[in-house]
Amino acid sequence: MYRKQVRRRRAILVVLVVACLMLISISISEADDGPLHSIQRGVSSVLSPVGEGASRALKPARDLIDWFDETWEARGENGELRGQVAELRTELLAAETAAERAGYADELGELIDASGLGGYEPVDATVIGRSFSVWYESVRIDAGGSDGIDRNDSVITEDGLIGRVSQVTGGTSEVTLITDSSSAVTARVAGGGPEGLVSGVVGDPGRLDLSLIQGAKEVKDGDRLVTAGFTTEGGLSSRFPGDIPIGEVVETIPAEQEQREQVNVEPFADLADLTTVTVLTGGDDG
Amino acid sequence: MIVTPLILVRLALIVLAAVLLQVGFFSQVPLLGSVANLLPVVVVALGLLGGAVSGAVAGFATGLLVDAMIGGTPGVASLALMAAGYLAGRWREGYDIVSSLVPPLLTGALTALAALIYAALSLTLGIEAPVSVLALREVVVQGLLGVLLAIPVFPLVRRIVRPALVDDPGHSRAGAGAGDRAPGRGTFGMMRGQGSH
Repeated sequence: MYRKQVRRRRAILVVLVVACLMLISISISEADDGPLHSIQRGVSSVLSPVGEGASRALKPARDLIDWFDETWEARGENGELRGQVAELRTELLAAETAAERAGYADELGELIDASGLGGYEPVDATVIGRSFSVWYESVRIDAGGSDGIDRNDSVITEDGLIGRVSQVTGGTSEVTLITDSSSAVTARVAGGGPEGLVSGVVGDPGRLDLSLIQGAKEVKDGDRLVTAGFTTEGGLSSRFPGDIPIGEVVETIPAEQEQREQVNVEPFADLADLTTVTVLTGGDDG
Repeated sequence: MIVTPLILVRLALIVLAAVLLQVGFFSQVPLLGSVANLLPVVVVALGLLGGAVSGAVAGFATGLLVDAMIGGTPGVASLALMAAGYLAGRWREGYDIVSSLVPPLLTGALTALAALIYAALSLTLGIEAPVSVLALREVVVQGLLGVLLAIPVFPLVRRIVRPALVDDPGHSRAGAGAGDRAPGRGTFGMMRGQGSH
């Protein structure tokens, strides 16, 4: 009797393990519109209202913890921020004076128009779910196909780029964050600097890595990165519109034994604490 | 554990509630550079109370559900959680829970193991981005937070599935001990129930 139990237990375990391996194998080999992904989207679409309701119900608890967290951090940062505000005010005055002198203020409006963001329709959404591991960085938002959202739409906050839409159901969407291991964003240093590819660093969600494509120009600490938003003559275009702020270079480690220079970037957006995001819909990014 | 249709509904609700709490709350509250992971904690509790098969099946179902909710590669989370649930059940079938510290400590260890398996599988499937050593922080932090989460979660899960437990101390304290090592029967088998805890 006991041996029969053991045999049955082992058989169930083997069946489950084989099922897992088959799921992994099919998921990796099939296209995004394959049957497994369709089933996954179907289940997600059915469960989304429940998840959305649960997320709304749990919001007060999250807000309470955020409040404690922010209060704790604010105590330490208060003095530091006061110093930074004074410093930035001085810099701002200097920059405004310089911009006026160079007629830069007028050019700024043209630059915003030229970035192409005027052609996108922003859709605000709330984060209702998040992945639990640094190996897979994504969030689920409460806006989907019915709101005009498509796959590959760019997602931003008021601070900068956070990711792109990777899956859409009727009322929700999944956003793969720029810190995810599969993410890659073509970027350039603002002001005509070198271009490169920004990717996430697994295990360190507060940091991005810049791989330089055009290494002729130097990248230095404090450089600000924006999306490159390129379009080739052959019609190939970046998934992200141009000139969306990404982050700031915080450390450059020169290439010695490494094959390439290592450039560490701190994202402008606080990717660890996302509550409201904006999806740029309607662009030519499909 | 004797699994009746009613108990099956309770188990499904436990798994669903755990996934909703994880995705809607715990994953959105950063702690010590990572987040708490409730899923292995619940799966380990079910394994400790129901045995190896219950733990493995709960891990498999929980993994599939969370992948559907948040869009991970189907099967990866299931494998990691299945390992945690199965090993918890094997522990329960081989040893008595002689101290109230055993469930939280075992949960912490198996939560860390699940995070490690998830990381290993992710690496095996191919990661193009650079990997920081800080990725190991997730294993440690989730393990430590697993210990803390298990303190309220294990008794709560036990209370919910109590009617299915063969030797629940709330019903018969005399039943706890060597006698509850007998192999069982039932839908998933009548496994060893909660012992002297």
